[in-house]
Amino acid sequence: MAKLTIDDLKKIKEKVHKEMSLRDGDRRVKVTVHMGTCGIASGAKEVMDSLLQEIEAAGANDVFVTTSGCMGLCSREPLVTVEIINQEPIKYEYMNPNKMRQVFKRHILQGEIQTPFVLAKGSEVIK
Amino acid sequence: MKAEDTELLKEFTPDQVKKLNEIIKKHKGKPGSLIPVLEEAQVCLEYLPVSVQKKIAAGLNLPLSRVYGVVTFYSFFTMTPRGKHTVRVCLGTACYVRGGKALTETLQKEFGVKEGETTPDRMFTLESVRCLGACGLGPVVVIDEDVHGRVKPAKIREILAQYN
Amino acid sequence: MKVLRAHLLICGGTGCQASGSPAVKKALLEALDKKKLTEEIKVVETGCNGFCALGPIMVVYPEGVIYINLKADDMPELVEEHLIKGRIVQRLLYREPTTDQIIPTMQDIPFFAHQELRVLKNRGLIDPEKIEEYIARDGYAGMAKALTEMTPEQIVQEVLDSGLRGRGGAGFPTGLKWKFASQSKSDVKYVLCNADEGDPGAFMDRSVLEADPHAVLEGMVIAAKAIGSSSGYIYCRAEYPLAIHRLNVAIDQAKQAGLLGKDILGTGFNFDLEIYQGAGAFVCGEETALMTSIEGKRGMPRPRPPFPAVAGLWQKPSILNNVETLANVGQIILRGSKWYSSVGTEKSKGTKVFALTGDVNNVGLVEVPMGTKLGTIVYDIGGGIPKGKKFKAAQLGGPSGGMIPIQHLNAPVDYEKVMELGAIMGSGGLIVMNEDKCAVDMARFFMDFCQDESCGKCTPCREGTKRMLEILTNITKGQGKEGDIELLEEMAGVIKNAALCGLGQTAPNPVLSTLRYFRKEYEDHIRNHRCSAAVCSAMFKSPCQHTCPIEMDIPAYIALIRAGRFEDAYKILLQTNPFPSVCGRVCDHKCQTKCRRGNMDEPIAIKFLKRFITDNAPRPKIGPVEVSRKEKIAVIGAGPAGLTAARDLAQRGYKVTVFEELPKAGGMLAWGIPSYRLPRNILEGEIDDVRALGVEIKLNTRVGKDITFAKLEKEFDYVYLATGAHKSQKMGVPGEDLKNVFGGVEFLRDFNADEEKWMKGKKSLGKKVVVIGGGNSAIDAARVALRLGSEVTILYRRLKQDMPAAEEEIKAAEEEGIKIDLLVAPLKIDGTKGKVSSITCQRMKLGDFDNSGRKRPVAVEGSEFTLDVDAVIAAIGQVPDMSFLDAKKGVGVNKWDCFEVGKVYKSGTANPRYFAGGDAATGPDTVIAAIGAGHQAADDIDAAIRQANGEPAYEKPAKEKIDVPLEIDEETVEAPQMAMPEMHHDARKTSFVEVELGFKPEDAIKEACRCLRCDASV
Repeated sequence: MAKLTIDDLKKIKEKVHKEMSLRDGDRRVKVTVHMGTCGIASGAKEVMDSLLQEIEAAGANDVFVTTSGCMGLCSREPLVTVEIINQEPIKYEYMNPNKMRQVFKRHILQGEIQTPFVLAKGSEVIK
Repeated sequence: MKAEDTELLKEFTPDQVKKLNEIIKKHKGKPGSLIPVLEEAQVCLEYLPVSVQKKIAAGLNLPLSRVYGVVTFYSFFTMTPRGKHTVRVCLGTACYVRGGKALTETLQKEFGVKEGETTPDRMFTLESVRCLGACGLGPVVVIDEDVHGRVKPAKIREILAQYN
Repeated sequence: MKVLRAHLLICGGTGCQASGSPAVKKALLEALDKKKLTEEIKVVETGCNGFCALGPIMVVYPEGVIYINLKADDMPELVEEHLIKGRIVQRLLYREPTTDQIIPTMQDIPFFAHQELRVLKNRGLIDPEKIEEYIARDGYAGMAKALTEMTPEQIVQEVLDSGLRGRGGAGFPTGLKWKFASQSKSDVKYVLCNADEGDPGAFMDRSVLEADPHAVLEGMVIAAKAIGSSSGYIYCRAEYPLAIHRLNVAIDQAKQAGLLGKDILGTGFNFDLEIYQGAGAFVCGEETALMTSIEGKRGMPRPRPPFPAVAGLWQKPSILNNVETLANVGQIILRGSKWYSSVGTEKSKGTKVFALTGDVNNVGLVEVPMGTKLGTIVYDIGGGIPKGKKFKAAQLGGPSGGMIPIQHLNAPVDYEKVMELGAIMGSGGLIVMNEDKCAVDMARFFMDFCQDESCGKCTPCREGTKRMLEILTNITKGQGKEGDIELLEEMAGVIKNAALCGLGQTAPNPVLSTLRYFRKEYEDHIRNHRCSAAVCSAMFKSPCQHTCPIEMDIPAYIALIRAGRFEDAYKILLQTNPFPSVCGRVCDHKCQTKCRRGNMDEPIAIKFLKRFITDNAPRPKIGPVEVSRKEKIAVIGAGPAGLTAARDLAQRGYKVTVFEELPKAGGMLAWGIPSYRLPRNILEGEIDDVRALGVEIKLNTRVGKDITFAKLEKEFDYVYLATGAHKSQKMGVPGEDLKNVFGGVEFLRDFNADEEKWMKGKKSLGKKVVVIGGGNSAIDAARVALRLGSEVTILYRRLKQDMPAAEEEIKAAEEEGIKIDLLVAPLKIDGTKGKVSSITCQRMKLGDFDNSGRKRPVAVEGSEFTLDVDAVIAAIGQVPDMSFLDAKKGVGVNKWDCFEVGKVYKSGTANPRYFAGGDAATGPDTVIAAIGAGHQAADDIDAAIRQANGEPAYEKPAKEKIDVPLEIDEETVEAPQMAMPEMHHDARKTSFVEVELGFKPEDAIKEACRCLRCDASV
């Protein structure tokens, strides 16, 4: 990366906002696997692996996978957020590889939210 | 390889000694480099006997007493070899009566070492631990950070096989 | 051509494979083969159906039935039932999840709704390893502002104005620290970040570093500009590999982007930093020790002054800030000090991040405004205590902090309040402890930690912590002595004053704080060798036995059930308890709350097993005991306390006479507890055994009326007052004196006295009955009223979980059709012609926490409503009726109308000839507590007599030796408690026959096998 100026900071902000809001053409779904130490200890890595395998097997190149840190609710880990374009994010709790596969096949590909595994929808509010 | 390394070569491979030399060289002259050197040395050598401390003291131009003082102060450093994995058997009352003792005996036989010792291949260090509060799962064995509950002596080999 | 009548599609997808579909398939093929069905049924392995979490799954065609969660063991049944008999196996059937299930939003979840995110604003939203995502959420904008638009003085001023204080625990104003360092003159200065989070139970800093590392870097650059520094260190413990990894990635990215290093953002400002890994020494969290450690030495603290702002790392001016403090800085600069100080309390501004752990449902990271109530954090955000246990205390500040107990749940958590309550804010570890934690043991645990981590440089800390630990360890082992508490306090004072650094100065805090709030527990350990939480196992055989007020040998009788030796088990029961068949039915079984099996799945059904013994073994024969002593003893009141005392004294050779005002003996057992819970013949059998010893029970005899105190004193040497608490408390509302308004116990007593009239309808409550209260007698009254044909509603002013009645009683009442209306309190009762006709009530809402840790009900204005009723039963509590007592006897009565005891003897009153106990001394309590009181009184009266006679103390005769087998399963399989079979609730509604039917022998033995045998000694 080249050295940034203050103007660059603003540009990056706008660019990422565009990307994160999923309007970047080929990205239909963003899946965030929450991977703090707590998440990893409770199996987030295995969840991540199974998701990546499923994506590859299905050739789903419109699904974009990312990670982030702890979401706060360590006792419900592993947590996964599925964000489909123009829909509210859905947060799944107590995930495991099989639940991840099911969420991938039925929610991400077919659009059926897997309610029994859902923690909540939406995002936290920052005042 | 220098003559002063002969003592080290009794315990470590030439490759390890070479690495140690590199570590010392990398940090030499930087203020406050003793702890990073010791950390890296321990990762490479697994433990820090006096021979290693002498070498580091000479390399960093510090008195041996200073190196020894630091090694004994921080719990991260060890002067005796430890296994790659630490196996701790819970000997709280509940585990004890449910076979914790038998488990320790099995492990001692399996490893050929006593409590507090490390196997000759430096794979496992055997320790015992006070009650972990997982009495319902007894007997409990903790390997590194993983808690294994309801361990029968017959099952222990299977569990150990996961660690290599 | 072969005609196939069914296709079995078994899923062979990755998910189902992982959960065992190959084994299921194999078992299925075997089962089909066995039944010779392979010709007509075909098994096909299919691709994934997308029900991976429910796998292995199988679809049966032609019907299209989906089976889920299959196991190899299920196959023979499935083949037999479905494929041969054509019956669908219900338990394996897939059910469509209810589609109308509403998904809550994040704001609907209290855990998230009560938080205010500032430090954690990026949590779960950004990839910590992508600097762009941080920048996109205003990252580095504060730094840009500081570097381009502000002077160092302005930055310091902004931080000062914000009111930000050190989040590492001490709470020193961050701006002030920066100001001092900025005023120090030096060519080299250091900015240090303390990420050596070492408190057990704290993980705030780790989470921030893992989730948002750039926020810390940004804060450090701003601090560097403020004090004029160009290099810094992050001191991070080696136990946090992921945090170190992400910090390294962040530092690399920031350097590449020109946000760290030379000429940051083209402004000409330089700042570089590196990570320094700690090597595992708790004391290095102390600022001077941390600096010594970076210098490559033993991490021991240095005396101050000079302060680090003048001479810190390598004797250069340095500032050390905690991770959370630094993570706040970027936003303070960007959004301004006014925005920052808009939340918080007067002296503590902004938010605080807590690591919420321990006995709480939602474990996690919590960010709340300073001044948020402790109760809000524990109950609303934390979701309360698991398994319905009671909150005991919250531990703040780890080994340097203290406990905040239940009575301070309303305390606003900020630096000042926390300090006032004897804890410290600390870095933010908040460990919730339930009633099963022992205060002394916790103090010992933290002292063990401090002692272990003491660096050894100064004597007060090195030697003092060791000595304090010794004393605490002795106390937990039951070897404490009088004076230990005072010695602990004295040593704590010395260490606090004389230790060199924070670690030593704060090490005594957990001891001082537990002594402040739980001194009684210390005394109980030292004097009575009792640990009420059943933690300090050196003092007892098993937690259940230790928790029982009369220390019944529970593991022994359970082991004897397992061995099929029911008669021996009965003998064990009678060694301590004259009323085992009563207790097997109505005891509140505190023993079960401490059962270690409960930590695994569910506690042992101790109460039901006790009843099982008395139902299934012949009652050991009891013969009269010869009167061998000259002293005569009168017991007033034939309840469980009085009868237990009478029995014990008779066994010791005394002549005992029991006086009872009512026509039947048993006290509350006979007059309060309905017969569907405790059949009369069962109770009478146990009372007859007391008579069989030679105890005389004079019924219908009120002392003070039917026999005068003067006569009593002439005929008897000592008197035991065990008169119970048989008077209902008044509600204090108008209309309470109307006809058909009853007190709970008065109603039950009248029903028991006049059962025939009530049953035949000669006495009646009417159609609609309202019962007020939430205790056991309210439930008893309600269930009796229901059985008399009334429509019953219980009104209670709090929530169901706050009801003092036994959970199983509440459940049974609801099953029988009793309505419970919660958060309602009565205002007035109206009547026509002197008889009740309606009750006016008010709705309640929950306010602050009260001393019991429950939320206090507060009236909702304008929520009054009226119910038409035919009878009102007020069962809100009972008090002893002291009207019989002759005031001249000098037996003291306290402000709760209870006997004042504890004079010389635990049950002694101010008059040495009178002893007292049971409900009459304690207020309404349990049966088992009354039995305990009876034992105590017998011991005390006997001891008083022997002392007066100059005789040696009583020696208990050796118990009959019963060999208790030690049989333990090698493997413990999780299994729930055996359920008690009950009469169906439809049949119960009109009957006073016992509801609970009792265990069958095979069930009892199975349940007894669940016992973990905590009593087994090695």
